[in-house]
Amino acid sequence: MKKPRSTVFVFAVMTLTLVFAAADILVVKVQTTKLRNGPRYFAQAFLTLSAGAKLEKVSESEGWIQVKTASGVVGWIHSSAIEIPKFNLLAMNKDMKTQASANEVVLAGKGFNKQVEDSYRAKHGEANFTGVEAMLQIKVNLTQVEDFLRKGKLGEFRGVK
Amino acid sequence: MTTSKSWLLALSVWGLAVLLVSCSAVQQATSILNTATKTAGEAKTVVQAGQMLRSTFADITEEEEYYIGRSVAALILSKYSAYQNDGLTQYINIVGNAVAIHSDRPEVYAGYHFLILDTEDVNALAAPGGMIFVTKGLLRRCKDEETLALVLAHEIGHVSAKHGLKAIKKSRLTDAFMFLGSQAVQRFGPQELVQLTSIFEGVLSDIVEQLVERGYDRKSEYDADGLAVKFGAGTGFDPSGILRFLKTMVGDKSAAAGKGWFRTHPTPEQRIDSLNKQIAGLAVVPKIDDVRTKRFQQYFRTLK
Repeated sequence: MKKPRSTVFVFAVMTLTLVFAAADILVVKVQTTKLRNGPRYFAQAFLTLSAGAKLEKVSESEGWIQVKTASGVVGWIHSSAIEIPKFNLLAMNKDMKTQASANEVVLAGKGFNKQVEDSYRAKHGEANFTGVEAMLQIKVNLTQVEDFLRKGKLGEFRGVK
Repeated sequence: MTTSKSWLLALSVWGLAVLLVSCSAVQQATSILNTATKTAGEAKTVVQAGQMLRSTFADITEEEEYYIGRSVAALILSKYSAYQNDGLTQYINIVGNAVAIHSDRPEVYAGYHFLILDTEDVNALAAPGGMIFVTKGLLRRCKDEETLALVLAHEIGHVSAKHGLKAIKKSRLTDAFMFLGSQAVQRFGPQELVQLTSIFEGVLSDIVEQLVERGYDRKSEYDADGLAVKFGAGTGFDPSGILRFLKTMVGDKSAAAGKGWFRTHPTPEQRIDSLNKQIAGLAVVPKIDDVRTKRFQQYFRTLK
């Protein structure tokens, strides 16, 4: 009896590994984000990731995902910054690049993009894109936000004297 | 269980898993293969793949949302000028970003950006993708940091729940996804670009009409109020700040009444009732703090 059970167990583990490993490839969906050394915004950020970067999921904690980059660097990223590709099960047979390129083809880059905006702008001189560019230049960094929260006794600094 | 039966069971489980993966692989392989070939029949397959993949506003990518939001913002800025006050603008951006990182959607494609519009209308507008506008008229009714933070949290709620994208007509979205599905294999040629630009204009018109002219439906507004309480209190702000703001609108007979938030939202009294229930349901209700009110007053002294 022992041998057959262990055989079933081995196949079950292989099957689960296959399904879960295939589902753990993530892609950065925001322009840029940071990899941090803990699951919180004010943890030390040590690597900038750009849209399209492929990551492997390691674990998760309250909206944060611990990931490994293609070069093997491990850190934390907020779940709102990443996309789980819809056709991710193919990942088990292909390298990460091939898997993501399929998503790029079907989903990203070729939708409403800069080319479409340029075409729209050429037809609509009244739309104030200069104003939009100026608005996007207003930058706030996390150090300023952290200082604001600390001095205002907000966020994780609530109750701190 | 005999050895042969256990092997049979194990192989069945394994076979099922491989079949599952294979089905997905075939679907994706179809899409990949079609990227390399451009016959009419194969283009049709890509259309089908596009339809299968994307069907609702929630399927619009972050980058597309950003480009839609940029154009919506450009149209808003063609109606209103930006108010020039760097210190106050920076302060509002810090308050807004402090709330955003405690929201359900702290990261959007190009980050959250806040701008003051130079008008006495009482209004706030959130373009898709995180470009948020507040008017001078609205800011004049904020008397403490909590009130400002909760108003911004309401707009972040609209972005977080993608209410702007929900305004796109379903038929337009279907057209867009079918077109984008069929054209995903190449850079758009002149003809495709004309067609896609026309769809894009329709998308913008749907959003701007709702955002500026008609206002969101009541459910979206109540949802955004609920999210404002959640995000605001989650940051540590006293959520009754939004009640203080709404009370300035009750029985208002000023020139601002009948425009902006007055016209496009449920009545202040209705919202106050609903918000009181939301706040009563919080496990912990943060209190207002003088430190925050003092710094708010320091920045708001410069509002002319």
